Amino acid sequence: MLQLTSDNNWKKLGEHHVNSEHDIVSVRQLIRYYAKEMNMGIIDQTRITTAVSELLRNMYNYGGGGEVHVETGLVDEKQTLIVTCIDEGPGIEDLELAMSDGYTSGKGMGYGLPGAKRLVDRFEIKSERNKGTTVRIMKWK
Amino acid sequence: MSEKNNIDQKKDRIDHIENVLASVAAGDIDARINSDIEDDLSGIEAAIDLLIDDLTDELKQREKMQKEVEDKLVKIQEQQKVIFQQQSDLLELSSPVSKVWDNVLILPVIGTLDSQRTQVMMENLLEKIVETGCTIAILDITGVPTVDTQVANHLLKTVTSARLLGAECIISGISPAIAQTIVHLGIDLSSIKTKATLQDAMIYAMKQNKRSENVKLQSLFTDYDKREE
Repeated sequence: MLQLTSDNNWKKLGEHHVNSEHDIVSVRQLIRYYAKEMNMGIIDQTRITTAVSELLRNMYNYGGGGEVHVETGLVDEKQTLIVTCIDEGPGIEDLELAMSDGYTSGKGMGYGLPGAKRLVDRFEIKSERNKGTTVRIMKWK
Repeated sequence: MSEKNNIDQKKDRIDHIENVLASVAAGDIDARINSDIEDDLSGIEAAIDLLIDDLTDELKQREKMQKEVEDKLVKIQEQQKVIFQQQSDLLELSSPVSKVWDNVLILPVIGTLDSQRTQVMMENLLEKIVETGCTIAILDITGVPTVDTQVANHLLKTVTSARLLGAECIISGISPAIAQTIVHLGIDLSSIKTKATLQDAMIYAMKQNKRSENVKLQSLFTDYDKREE
């Protein structure tokens, strides 16, 4: 089983629940704010915000909502914004397929997960059938 | 004799204390012992009276706070109602479609595009296209801060349905940051005409207009020529 990167020295910035489309928007706005606080440029702000938006939509559409943890800390000696999305949904059946461009199990375009991966510096995903999915993304400053 | 009297009197007073405590416990917080006799028991009586006073104060305080909390709750519920009302109002307001020039419609999109809003937006646009017969529609997304795959999907669907009605859509106002994000996401928007600014989109629309007008004029001329012949 793939292990997610973690570090006890990371500073927790916030924990949010996502149970509606409105939550997606407000959490997304918060992420943009945190990114700005870390002095990220407008392009990096937009990238991390969009990646988070993709993950939250997946969580809301397929995982029945969930939690988002936002942290900041050093990863590979670089100041990093870390966002972790946790749901207790049905899990992803075939991760490799889900991570490939153009595949969707629902009505989307099929670019959500692979697109989010391309938008961030590190992307980790852990999914268990009937237990849920955890995605951790990191963006260096 | 006086000893016995004294004991009887004390018994009466203890009974009185019991009665008062019982009525306080039953909820009559105005009951007091109020003894005039000064002796060993009066200290206890006074202390009990004081305790009842304190209890009364606490109870009143609690009632007051409870009422305040209830009032606040009612207020919050009212505010929530207003928020919901405004949300639905905004939904209507936020998708205005206007005709800016002959044959050119414009739809400025501001804020977040969720599925519900996109639906309203699409309906408004398609209705307006049919109503005015315009063949060019500009969707300006300068005011949209985040374009993810869902928003892009909505835009694609809107453009495709407009095309089915015979109108060409131009999307304008894509910022450099959003342009890069769209490319990284892997979304293909090449089937849609896009312009950097609303101005560019307007200029393009005018040119298209002129071209179709020329075609119209030409056909008029040929009709005229035919008649001359």
